[in-house]
Amino acid sequence: MEFKLTPEQEEIKRAVREFAEKEFTPELALEYDQKEEFPAALYKKAAQLGFTSMRIPEQFDGQGLGVLEDCIVVEEMCRVDPGIGVAISLGNLMIPDVLLHHGNEEQKCKYIPPLARGDKIAAAAFTEPEHGSDITRMDSTAVKCGSEWVINGAKEFITNATTADTFILLCQSDPNAQPSHRGQTLFLAEKGMTGLEATKLHGKMGIKPCVTGSLSMCDLKVPDANLVGEVGKGFYYTLELFDGTRITVAAQAVGIAQGAFEKALNYAKTRKQFGQPIINFQGVSFKLAEMLMKIESARLMTYKAAWLYDKVKPNPVATSMAKAYASRVAMEVTDDAIQIFGGYGYLADYHVERFHRCAKITEIYEGTSEIQKLTISNYLAKQQ
Amino acid sequence: MDIIVCVKHVPDTAEAELKIDASGKAVDKAGLVYDINEWDDYALEEAVRIKEKQGGTVTAITIGSEDSDSTLRKCLARGADKAIRLTDPKFAGSDSYATAKILHSVIKTMHYDLILAGLQAGDDGATAVGPILAEMLGIPHATMVKKLELATGTAKVNRELEGGLEEQIEVKLPALLAVSTGINEPRYVSIMGIRKAMQKEIKIMTLADTGLTEAEVGEQGSWTRIEKLYVPPAEKQAEPVTGTPDEIAAKIVDLLRSRGLI
Amino acid sequence: MAKLFVLAEHRQGQLRDITFEMLTKGREIAEKTGTELTAVILGSNVKEHAKALAEYAQAVILVEDPRLENFNSEAYKKVLQALIAAHKPLLIMMGHTSYGVELAPRLAAALSIPLATDLIDLAFEADQLTATRQMYGGKVNVKTVVRKAETYIATIRTATFTPQKPSPPANGQILETPSPLTEDIAEKRFLQYVLPPPGGVDITAAEKLVGVGRGIKDQANMPLMEELAKTLGAVLACSRPIVDKGWLPTDRQVGSSGKTVKPKLYLALGISGAFQHVLGMKSSDLIIAVNKDPKAPIFSFADYAVVEDLFKIVLPLKNKVNEAKAQKT
Repeated sequence: MEFKLTPEQEEIKRAVREFAEKEFTPELALEYDQKEEFPAALYKKAAQLGFTSMRIPEQFDGQGLGVLEDCIVVEEMCRVDPGIGVAISLGNLMIPDVLLHHGNEEQKCKYIPPLARGDKIAAAAFTEPEHGSDITRMDSTAVKCGSEWVINGAKEFITNATTADTFILLCQSDPNAQPSHRGQTLFLAEKGMTGLEATKLHGKMGIKPCVTGSLSMCDLKVPDANLVGEVGKGFYYTLELFDGTRITVAAQAVGIAQGAFEKALNYAKTRKQFGQPIINFQGVSFKLAEMLMKIESARLMTYKAAWLYDKVKPNPVATSMAKAYASRVAMEVTDDAIQIFGGYGYLADYHVERFHRCAKITEIYEGTSEIQKLTISNYLAKQQ
Repeated sequence: MDIIVCVKHVPDTAEAELKIDASGKAVDKAGLVYDINEWDDYALEEAVRIKEKQGGTVTAITIGSEDSDSTLRKCLARGADKAIRLTDPKFAGSDSYATAKILHSVIKTMHYDLILAGLQAGDDGATAVGPILAEMLGIPHATMVKKLELATGTAKVNRELEGGLEEQIEVKLPALLAVSTGINEPRYVSIMGIRKAMQKEIKIMTLADTGLTEAEVGEQGSWTRIEKLYVPPAEKQAEPVTGTPDEIAAKIVDLLRSRGLI
Repeated sequence: MAKLFVLAEHRQGQLRDITFEMLTKGREIAEKTGTELTAVILGSNVKEHAKALAEYAQAVILVEDPRLENFNSEAYKKVLQALIAAHKPLLIMMGHTSYGVELAPRLAAALSIPLATDLIDLAFEADQLTATRQMYGGKVNVKTVVRKAETYIATIRTATFTPQKPSPPANGQILETPSPLTEDIAEKRFLQYVLPPPGGVDITAAEKLVGVGRGIKDQANMPLMEELAKTLGAVLACSRPIVDKGWLPTDRQVGSSGKTVKPKLYLALGISGAFQHVLGMKSSDLIIAVNKDPKAPIFSFADYAVVEDLFKIVLPLKNKVNEAKAQKT
């Protein structure tokens, strides 16, 4: 057993850190946080350096690496700025993962390389106004009509809704299937198709550079060629997908916590009260010690889940534990960081409040912490 | 075109607070982050750009401890083909002259059309290794290079003079050019670069491989020997302006007003 | 009597300041070491320069050759080799300038003469040359001892010593020495001087300058700096990294490789104060420096020091200046 990154992983960490530190300047981070705008130029730059296609095989213009390498990149980017970091790491989210496992050769060749290169942006639409944690039934419907499928419905909280070029939609293709999730199917759609409309959502708490919106599908016609995998398997494909992507959400949380921790530590060493740096007070220093312990344990759980995924097999329980734990740690550590900064921490200019606002999403998306605990407890119940 | 780039692994001290260590002859390196010397970064980029345009190879060479591998790895990831690290405890204390001798002992055995180096190192900043090395190799050189155009057998370079003036000179190849910052825009390390670099080896050489004697390197083989380091005395004592940002701003405005500057 | 050489630096018909700075320091060393302060000038049609040097030095060695019209380190090296062989000087001083940096190490290596570079002080102590220079961008000074030798070469940092004409003038003898060069230098040729294209702003003419450095972090912050400068009625200038990044044109650069300025106000924002920059602005009437590093070298040259994040100061300052201007009208 070895608790260290390989030389290659160390190099990746150093490269992405240098990129993020030079590019995601504090001023830019504040600006994007205010503008609620996707950092398109930065995304392209990151993609050209390979940072957004870690898990995509080389034949599709990706880097051919694993979830662990992806986690390193996501963690380092979120450490510098969670808003820009998350936005960039989610630029091509999920579509390559689904297609690699279940798409046909034509779909892989057509859709994955432009996403890998950062030429195109992806949006994966599962959540609906009435279906968030429970996706066992979709209100969006897909009806086969000759060689086409006609899709109607609405999707909510969709990352990149208004900026994406390529969409994947989870629809109820058989409303009568029992249980209902056996009647779900995934379809690809493209920007500009008649009947597909996107609306930007404003006023999110955090990760503001990551554009979120709603989609409406009104007689959206997609050809048979856009059907992903088999009819009726959409739900299963989706769950399987989360086994990998959820680990990178844990990595986001670890990065956010690490970034806030470093800011707080630096502040505690320089801020003087009662004639000495506040780190000399145990009320502060013990808090920092606890923050570090939490971050380290969250990181180990995240890396272990990633390692299992890459080297053994996807382990939904390890993944859920990592995500639920790391996201909680991110909330607690960023909260503590604000506390160490005191009044200054409450101001945008000192950045930690943004880290705290951004941390919250990691407890919500790609399965809330409650859903993660459900996965863990279901496993426990099944144990003899 | 085969290019050798001389690089150095140095601490980044631009924003660091430096302390002089117990020996009084060096700064305390604890907590400092090391990276490729800023000037060398531009030299490497220039070499890789030439290679991308005209083909050939780029070899990065350094003198330093095992830690220097991270700088060499960075060079490899950014497009260098080979890397050489010269490591020996006996090299410690080498000044520009001894450093040039060590580099010379290896480079004289290699094929090259061009040697690029940074104008100076961010740590000791002696600005001397390049021309000494060129003299030892018997090739022409130019320092403070701000622009470089290659032709057959020659290089046209712009050297930075004082006051914004430049001079254009022509040197015959092979030559050694020590480049200034700003000659290009160094690229980031890409994942593709890292993956390629992982397959490249760093060749390690010691004093025994150089053919030099112990007396020719390190402090013994140097022209200069450090006696002591000290914090520079302030030329004048600036008056501190303190307070909240608003108070500071108000004080500055008062100052300017009293001097008729507003 | 052994000699102490000072290599005169000249360009485009002008003797450069460093020459007189070195002659002043050289005089002090020559007196202490009992050597003859000797200016060495290489060039073509530079007799006038030789006369000017004679006021400072006990002797002037003048070598004229059309091949020496413009500086060429190889030509200079060959001539100096011959002069050193003939005179065996104790010390050869050159500027740590674009010429000295090009020439000194190469000459030292060719003759195996110990070299110390970029010196801010030097002295012979008990028969040994001790040389003081800076490291880590001026954050640390280092005193070094140079290996014992018959002859030494030293390059001297510009603007370190204040030139002082001896009174009465030294009236040194001018020794015209034939050029040892027999052929053109083929491996290295001077082609031309190149002036960067004028950018329309002459920072040397500005009364007030706002100088920005690495500390401004991001190009996106440039407009804010422009605004502050405008509010102050000042022109925006910068240190080298800003030009290297392409955020401001070359003609805004203050420092040894840029312009030397002497405004009534120099407001330094996020400038650490590397020597190369300080050289270009330290004679400003009023220097106010804002930098969050309390140990930034700039504070050793400033009149007023604001140890604070510049971004916290810029906006309040802009507002207060506006208020002050409003009150006035």
